[in-house]
Amino acid sequence: MNFSRIAHNLNYVFSVVLFLLGLYTIAVKPNLVKKIMGLNIMETSVFLFMVSIGMVGSGNAPVVTEGVKPATMVNPIPQALILTGIVVAVSTTAVALSLCIRIHEHYDSLNAFEILGRDELF
Amino acid sequence: MRKAIMLLALAGIGVMLIYAVGEMPPMGDSGNPDKTHVAPRYLEHGEEEAGASNVVTAVILNYRGYDTMGEVAVIFCALCAVVAVLGREKTGLSRTHMDVSRVKASVVVRTTVRFLVPVIIFFAIYIILHGEETPGGGFQGGAIIGASIILFTLAFGLPESTRKIPLKSRVPLESFAVIAFLAAGFTGILFGANFLTYIMPGLSEHAAETIRQVMMMVIEIGIGFAGGIIFTSIMFAMIREDKYELQPDSS
Repeated sequence: MNFSRIAHNLNYVFSVVLFLLGLYTIAVKPNLVKKIMGLNIMETSVFLFMVSIGMVGSGNAPVVTEGVKPATMVNPIPQALILTGIVVAVSTTAVALSLCIRIHEHYDSLNAFEILGRDELF
Repeated sequence: MRKAIMLLALAGIGVMLIYAVGEMPPMGDSGNPDKTHVAPRYLEHGEEEAGASNVVTAVILNYRGYDTMGEVAVIFCALCAVVAVLGREKTGLSRTHMDVSRVKASVVVRTTVRFLVPVIIFFAIYIILHGEETPGGGFQGGAIIGASIILFTLAFGLPESTRKIPLKSRVPLESFAVIAFLAAGFTGILFGANFLTYIMPGLSEHAAETIRQVMMMVIEIGIGFAGGIIFTSIMFAMIREDKYELQPDSS
């Protein structure tokens, strides 16, 4: 392993940590709202990762202004893609939460095990 | 048991991902692979080709316009799904558990919100209209509009909020972003160019530039206001509770 490179790419390391946190939440927590939170944390990790890829050290925002060379601007493409990603994340969260509301009305519980009627998934 | 298996699996995934981080190019280096393909061209020619000095807006509205059209369709579909699952609120009649509680928002909160909401919406309009020159744009401004209406609803309650922004005035606005995008797209076809082409062939340079600016502005405003209204509608659908609904007066 290239430890000096890992220490330099700290944003990527944090996005890995966030990704694992979200995955753990989705897999282990039985509460459906917590699962959705885990999904959102995972999405955030991907956003952090992609925006970090486009970063330029001591660079400028990608807005064309006098005296700013294009070479020092950060990459605009990940930012535009992540804008799309955020909107899609909001949309999926909204749909998932509205399903949760209906599930809670029907089963009076948001616990996945209680809804399934058993103690363990496997 | 489940936790132990999951932690083991996560440790495996984590080691692999961290190893991959060690193989990635150093962050922030201007010679990284992502900055050697299409990004320099966008940064150097974005302003003249796409007509927006904010290159992110240029990418969103011009180079990757189809992406954004799909994105707008996605939030519209999300609204449709939420409404299909939860139903619409009734103007002035739907209430939440906060509206029936005896503890109301205090005068301080309500006065502050009454002063803040117009300022927030004004700021959102600035963000939407200035998206071509400064960081910002339709989606960001829409999120701010939605947040200001959520703030208003939390302070004044759902009946007041649904009377201020009734359903029949929201419905046409919700689909405005998709309609604006389709209109801009088909304007290109009408002028004999491709779908979502902003520069029309056969026009003088000045007229083409004006048409492009107007169309981008229309799309930004459409995205901004429709986004804000869609967030509002989703919130109204989510927080209303059937058991607290008022009965309409028979008189």
